[in-house]
Parts: sequence; structure tokens; C-alpha cells
Amino acid sequence: MAGREAVKRAVQQVRPILSVDREEARKRALNLYKAWYRQIPYIVMDYDIPMTVEQCRDKLREEFVKNRHVSDIRVIDMLVIKGQMELKESVEIWKQKGHIMRYWKESQEPKPTDFLSKFIQGVN
Amino acid sequence: MAKFLGINRLAKLFQIIRESGGLKQTYLKLYRNDDLKIGTLVGIDKYGNKYFENPYYFYGRNRWIEFAPHVNMDYDGSQIPADWYGWMHYKTDLPPIRDGSRPKYKWLADHSENLSGTKEAYMPYSTTPPKVEAWDPKAKK
Amino acid sequence: MIRAPLVKALGALSSPTHQIQIGSRAVRTTAVIAQQAPAKAPEKIEVFVDDIPVQVLPGTTVLQAAAQIGVEIPRFCYHERLAVAGNCRMCLVEVEKSPKPVAACAMPVMKGWRIKTNSDLTRKAREGVMEFLLMNHPLDCPICDQGGECDLQDQAMAFGSDRSRFTDINYTGKRAVEDKDIGPLVKTIMTRCIHCTRCVRFASEIAGVDDLGTTGRGNDMQIGTYVEKLFLTELSGNVIDLCPVGALTNKPYSFVARPWEIRKVSSIDVLDAVGSNIVVSTRTNEVLRILPRENEDVNEEWLADKSRFACDGLKRQRLVAPMVRMPNGELQAVEWEGALIAVAKALKKANGQVAGVSGQLADVESLVALKDLVNRLEGETLVTEQGFIKGAGSDVRANYLLNSTIAGLEEADAVLLVGTNPRYEAPLVNTRLRKAYVHNELQIASIGPKIDLSYQHENLGADASLIKDVCSGTHAFSKVLEGAKKPAIIIGADLLERPDGAAIHATILDYCQKLKKKDWNPFNVLQNNAAQVGALDVGYQAGVEAVIKAQPKVLFLLNADAGKLTREQLPKDCFIVYIGSHGDNGASIADAVLPGAAYTEKQAIYVNTEGRPQQTLTAVSPPGMAREDWKILRAISEVVSTPLPYDTLDELRSRLEDLGPHLTRLGELEPASLSEAGSQATISKSINGGPIDVKQKELRDYFMTDAVSRASPTMAKCISAVNKQQRQNEQAKQSVAI
Repeated sequence: MAGREAVKRAVQQVRPILSVDREEARKRALNLYKAWYRQIPYIVMDYDIPMTVEQCRDKLREEFVKNRHVSDIRVIDMLVIKGQMELKESVEIWKQKGHIMRYWKESQEPKPTDFLSKFIQGVN
Repeated sequence: MAKFLGINRLAKLFQIIRESGGLKQTYLKLYRNDDLKIGTLVGIDKYGNKYFENPYYFYGRNRWIEFAPHVNMDYDGSQIPADWYGWMHYKTDLPPIRDGSRPKYKWLADHSENLSGTKEAYMPYSTTPPKVEAWDPKAKK
Repeated sequence: MIRAPLVKALGALSSPTHQIQIGSRAVRTTAVIAQQAPAKAPEKIEVFVDDIPVQVLPGTTVLQAAAQIGVEIPRFCYHERLAVAGNCRMCLVEVEKSPKPVAACAMPVMKGWRIKTNSDLTRKAREGVMEFLLMNHPLDCPICDQGGECDLQDQAMAFGSDRSRFTDINYTGKRAVEDKDIGPLVKTIMTRCIHCTRCVRFASEIAGVDDLGTTGRGNDMQIGTYVEKLFLTELSGNVIDLCPVGALTNKPYSFVARPWEIRKVSSIDVLDAVGSNIVVSTRTNEVLRILPRENEDVNEEWLADKSRFACDGLKRQRLVAPMVRMPNGELQAVEWEGALIAVAKALKKANGQVAGVSGQLADVESLVALKDLVNRLEGETLVTEQGFIKGAGSDVRANYLLNSTIAGLEEADAVLLVGTNPRYEAPLVNTRLRKAYVHNELQIASIGPKIDLSYQHENLGADASLIKDVCSGTHAFSKVLEGAKKPAIIIGADLLERPDGAAIHATILDYCQKLKKKDWNPFNVLQNNAAQVGALDVGYQAGVEAVIKAQPKVLFLLNADAGKLTREQLPKDCFIVYIGSHGDNGASIADAVLPGAAYTEKQAIYVNTEGRPQQTLTAVSPPGMAREDWKILRAISEVVSTPLPYDTLDELRSRLEDLGPHLTRLGELEPASLSEAGSQATISKSINGGPIDVKQKELRDYFMTDAVSRASPTMAKCISAVNKQQRQNEQAKQSVAI
């Protein structure tokens, strides 16, 4: 029973989201990157953010590189779809300035784990 | 005919320039007030603001103020003192200098402009006592 | 004077009041039954409550018989711990073949009675009584402090009529009574009074102060103090809990909160050594009031006034940020990093010359942490501020405990108080003694100054040599002690601080060897602060003399606020670190002040005077940058790079268990046997220290004894009220003399 399950899982064909192979997924990611890249000057202007176009492009690269390790085509597709949504929201000014600036915001600081820093911060 | 050709407007312009005191003065006035009007000087208040009137302009634009020179570009409507406020807003046609019936009490406070954005701006503060009173080492028992 | 009628009144009911007991009151029950059992086992009789058969002892009242099967009969005047009054009539029930409904609280059952607690007649009787009560009760529940925890409100909902017949046709208004000023603690709104007389009975029976009473009859009846005076006792707050309506309410708490918006946390009181069980009521991180929690072994359901009302001291004079003394000699608030580094620097320089002093409010956890820290830094001097006998006296646990136990004192039949005033040092121990005096014919004598203990006792005098007389058996009271079934000698902790304290201790201990019975230890030391037993349990020495002798370079003061140690007694370059919650004597001489948590702000163990470890729970968070005391010590240890081996409370508790396994058995009493305490003969027995005195002689000495109560404005008001009362009394006396 268990053996059959394993075989089934190994040969299982998953339904693709958008892309059928890696090459297509790559193209989609690249296209998204280009679209963002071209949109950045307008975003900087429309939202009046205190960032230069270069800084924004660095951030764009950083955001893409963050997911470099992803190899599952379906995950890539999903990330691309999410990126597309973000882009759409930016282009249509559905976002506000703060939403754009959130890309630069440090994510939440990790909670202290050792006694002394917990003590000084006053957390249990 | 002259009216049709807009010559009368040109004449008006020249008149304004003349009355403003030359091209440079006219430019400065335009720069400061974003407007160029001539009219009769109705009065000057104690802060040095000048009030004008000219019925040639449409109702609503026929009374105006030239703020005192020392405020420079930092003028705003709240610098109009209360007594002139009524005249500026057509509550009365009688400017305060000609209105003798206004009371002049000693205790009337001086006019103050809106101080928002300055150091003197009002800051709301809590009046509730703190839940925990801290020990003050300096306070001797 | 009141003794005879009371005993008579209670005597008739004594067996029932003690027999119908449920779970938590097991101690008293077994004790009383054990006393009665050998005499004659009374035959049980059968009655029927709502057709359910119940076997009860003769003399049981209807109300108690019903309670046995869980049927609760409504009542206002009846209270288990007070004499039966039977005047509210709320507990009327129908008894078959009885022409009228009977008052369940006062009527003993007869064989074969069929009691109907929910019949038409019963319901009608209750409704009628309720109607009469409400006719003279104001409709001010929306502005009444009792609203939401009011017996009258609840019972009117459950048993009252669904409509009112009260039509004030002539607009004459309801009966109104003038309010009384009976002190800064209890607020009176006498119009609300339903004349249950619980407060009167409490004052005369439990508190022993015949100040309250009734005047007038019928509609004109009033509760009051006869003449205009304040109701000042150390137990006055309990009448607030007893009052079933809002006639007596908590004055500092008035108009503060509603019972449904407060959070309740069960905790322990630490302002005296009794360790009363309390409920801390909090809202929005603020302690609003403190109520007693029932614990039959410790505080029954009473609470002393200091414990109840000093809670506003938790909000004043607090240390909210670490402070370090600057070169100009002033304490300045700094961040934790700065304070810890300042302490660590001083510790590095000290080279092992480190000492620690613990005070009245130190919990066992921080005591252990301080001990471990000082020992790691190669210091050995660890003492408590409160003194005790010198030498090895504190090695044996029975030497410093109230060995007869608080509940046990109730059974004592001869008690000798030596240099102690239990009335103010431990009010709830005194209520036990008074209870034994009233119910058990307890004979009490005292050696020390003449004081009012709220019951009659024989003052043998203040001369210290009397101790020798009594203990050698030559004194008249020795006969009483030796003839008693359960004698007890209670020594005040302050007495043992004297130079001849060890001799007194040894003399009495030797005598107690003679007095002791099977399962009864007559030797008692009444501690006067909550930290002392815990500190001695984990191995602290008593008395600050050791610190003065050691001349340390760094001195830790853990909640030490009694001011027994001054700057002048220490070397000039001594760096004093104060850890505690309040700015008081300790903080003002310190070089570094580290803000700790007060007892409502930490989960911590305290050991009470009978040796019972109990824990407080966190009701509110410590204010500002204050931290739990043991964590401060743990943090210091890490900065000086000898981290203590515990990071969490659980790990610290297991360390506690290594030191003393009894310390973590919360709520359980580990009896310390006296036999092991016998070998004290080496101490020279010379009692020559002059007359015996006690610190708290009068009520005004009671209110401010520690950092919390000294910071409390309510306690300050109490003292000024007592002083005012005394001035008035003196004036009255003078005018009479003239």
C-alpha cells in the first residue's frame, strides 16, 4: 500500500498553473522584471517617494534575487502572478506612498532569545 | 471701439503701474500678492495691514488687504484682526476706523494670528494623573 | 463583659456551627469533632429537605441541614463565622405541620421534620420579606458601589416580586438615615442599611471592639457608633465584605470600578508574616483593591486593614527606572545597560568583598538568586535586616517558626505572649487567639508592656526575668501552662534581636521541651515580616551586624528598607546596590538603584510565619523599566560573566527545591519537629537585657511598617484619623474633669 503511494507520488503529473516548462516560467519572470523596470520612473514620480530610480531598481533586483532558489515551476508562476498583481496595483495608483515604501522597511526584528537581551528589552 | 480693441484694458494696466509706483514696484506687488489691483485705501490697522476697496471689481473681490511689509511672504488670513474681519467679510460696510460705536475695553486681548506650525502652536497634553507616581530622589521627606 | 452572653449564645449553637463543614474547612472540623468524639457520639436524626432525607446531628439548624444537600436558603443576617441573629427573616421556610414559616438560620431541626424550601408558602414569605426590605431601601443601584456584588440585588432578582407595590402616594420619600463618618477606610451610606447587624456582630465577636451597635427600634432602628467616633480597628475592612448591601463600602475604592470590569488574580499578601490569601482586583494594569480569599488554615476569610488598604502604596514612590549616583552625588535615571555595567564595574573592583542584606518584602526566588550571586563572587555575608538570635539558632527550622500553626492556636488552652503584640504584628493570628478565648476558654498571659489585645489577658509585667521565673516553673502562670492540654508560648521576633535574645530563646525552648505534647509543639516565634522565614530557610543569617563587621566593598540591599543599616556604618568606598520596588530608606543611600517588582507584579514564593510557602501571582506588570527581582540579579551575574544557571522561573524553582524541598510545595505545611531543636544548652542562660518592649503598641504604630504602606496615602490618612480621635478623647476627658 505504502509502496504504491510512493510510486504514485513519484510519477505524479501535477497540473501546471501557467507554464508548462522551465523555459516558459523563466520568460514570464523576465517579462515581469522588465515591466517593473520600465515602470519604476513613473512610480517614483507618481508616488513622490524619497527614492531615486536607481535605488528602486536595486530594490527590484533584490526582490527577484530573494526568490532565486525557487525551482518549482508552479511556485515560480505563483510568484509571478503575485508580482503582476503588485505591479498592477502600483500602476493604477491603488497603492499609496506607504505601500511602496514598505519595500524598504526592515522586516520585524527577531525576538531576543538570550536572557540578557530579553531582560533589557523587557520581554519574557 | 477702444473697448472692443482692448485698449481700455491696456490703459488700465498703465494706470495700475503708475499708481503702484513704477515697473519694479508693480512686479514686486504682483509677486507678493499674486494680484494687481488698485483701489482706495480704506484704512490701516495697528499691525500695518492696509485695507483697500474698489467697487470696480466684482462683489467678493472688491475689498482686499495688503499685509504689512514686515511679514514679507509669511502672510495669512488669520493676521486680519477681529475688528477688520467683519469689514473684509462684508458683515458690515462700516470699517472699524469709521465706526465709533465699537466698544474698546481695556481687557480686550491683542489679536493673535494662527500659530500652527510655529513653536508657539498649541500642543494638547494629558491632564489625567499618571497611574504610577515615580520616586524622586531629590524630593526630601 | 460580653464574654458570658456570647459563649452562651454560641454554646447553644457550637456543635452545629462546627459540624456542617465542607471541604476546605476540614482542619477545624476534624479538630472539633476530635474533641467531641470521645465524650459521646450524638445520635444523628433524620430530616427531609424537599423530600430528600438528611442525617444531621441534633442541634443543627434548618439552614445547615439544607446546606448539607446543597440547597441554599437565601439569607442576609446569617453568617457562618458570626453568631446567629435571626433578624432579617429572609431565610423563612415552610415546615410541614408548623403553623408559621420558620427562620431557617435560627431554628434547630427536630426529628422527622419535612422542610420545604421551595413551596408556595416559602416563596410567598420570601417575597414578602423582600418587599419590606426594598420598601426602605433606596433605588440607587446605578450609583452604588456594591452594584454587581450585592446580596440584596441578587436575591431581589431571584426571590423578589416581579412588580412593585411601592407607590409613594404622598411623595413623602423613603426612609432616610444620616451617613456616619466612621473613618478613612469604610464609607457609610446608612440609608442602604437593611439592619442585618453583621457588622455589629463582627465588631464585637471577631474584632473585639464594641464600637458598633444599634439604636432605636422598628423603622427607627439605626446602626451606628452611639456617640460620634471612628470605627478604628486593624480589621475594620472586613465589615465591607460582610455588609450584604452597599451600606458599608470601601472608601478608597468608592466610585472606582464595577465588579464585572475588573480582573481578579489570586495572590498572597506580604505586608505581615501571616501570608493571608488575597484576591487582587485589577483593571487596565492598575491594582484597584484587594479582597481576602478564603483559606481556613491561614486567614479564614478575613483580612487585616494594612493588607487590604495599603495597595494604593503600590502606585506611589515607585522606582520606574534604574538609577546610578553621579559624581555630583545625585541619583540619575539611566538605561538598564548603564546601570548593569556600573554595578558590574563595582563588583569587579570589590574582589570578593561582597555582601547582601534582604528586607521585609524579599521573595524566596530573589533571595536564592542573591545568595547564589554573592557566593559566586566569593562573598559569604548574607543577612536579613530583621534580627534573630546570634549563632547557629537559625539552622534548625523549628527555632524560628510558629510551630503551633495559625489554625492550631485556635485549639490552644493556655498561651503566653512574650514581647509581642499579635494584634498589630499579625492581626489574623490575634483573631485566632481571640476566637480560642471566646469559644475555647483560652487563658492568655503576656510578658511585655501593657497593651490592648482586644481580649482579656493577664499582664505578668515587662521585666525580662519573668521569663526565667515562668520557665523554671516558679511563676503562677507556669502551673497554668503545665496543666494545659495544648499550651503555647509565642515570642515576638523583635525580642530575639536583643543581646540576650539567645538566652531568652534557649530558656523558652528548654521549657517547651517539657511542655510539648504528642502532635503539639508549644514553641512559637511570631515573625513580623513576610520574608524572614523564607530567608532563614534558604540559609541567610539574621541581623546586619555581620555586614558592619565584614565591611564589604559592594553591598546588595534586596528590598531592605527598614533603615537598620546606615551609610556611616559602611566603608566610604562601599558601593551600595538597592534592588526593590519603592524609593525608601534603602534607595536613598544606594549608589545604584535597580527597580524591582512589587508583590502584585511577580510570581514569587513567600513563606509565612508558620513555615507555609505560598506564591503570589502576577496581577499587573511592573511599572516602567522595573523587572522581577531575581531577573535583575541574574542579569548582573551575566554582566560580571558568572551567569547563574537558571534562565526561567521554573529552572529557578528547581534550584529552590535543591535548597529546601519544602519551599516549592505551595500551600503545604512542613511541620518542623521540636525534638531536633534540643541541643541548645551551650548558650549561657543569662537574661539581663532590661524590660521587654514591643514596637507596635497602639493602632497608629500598625499602619506604616514597610515600604509599601509607608508610600500609601490611605495609611497616612488612617494615622491622622487615629491621632485626631485620640485628641478628641483627651479633650473630652479634660472637659469632664473640669
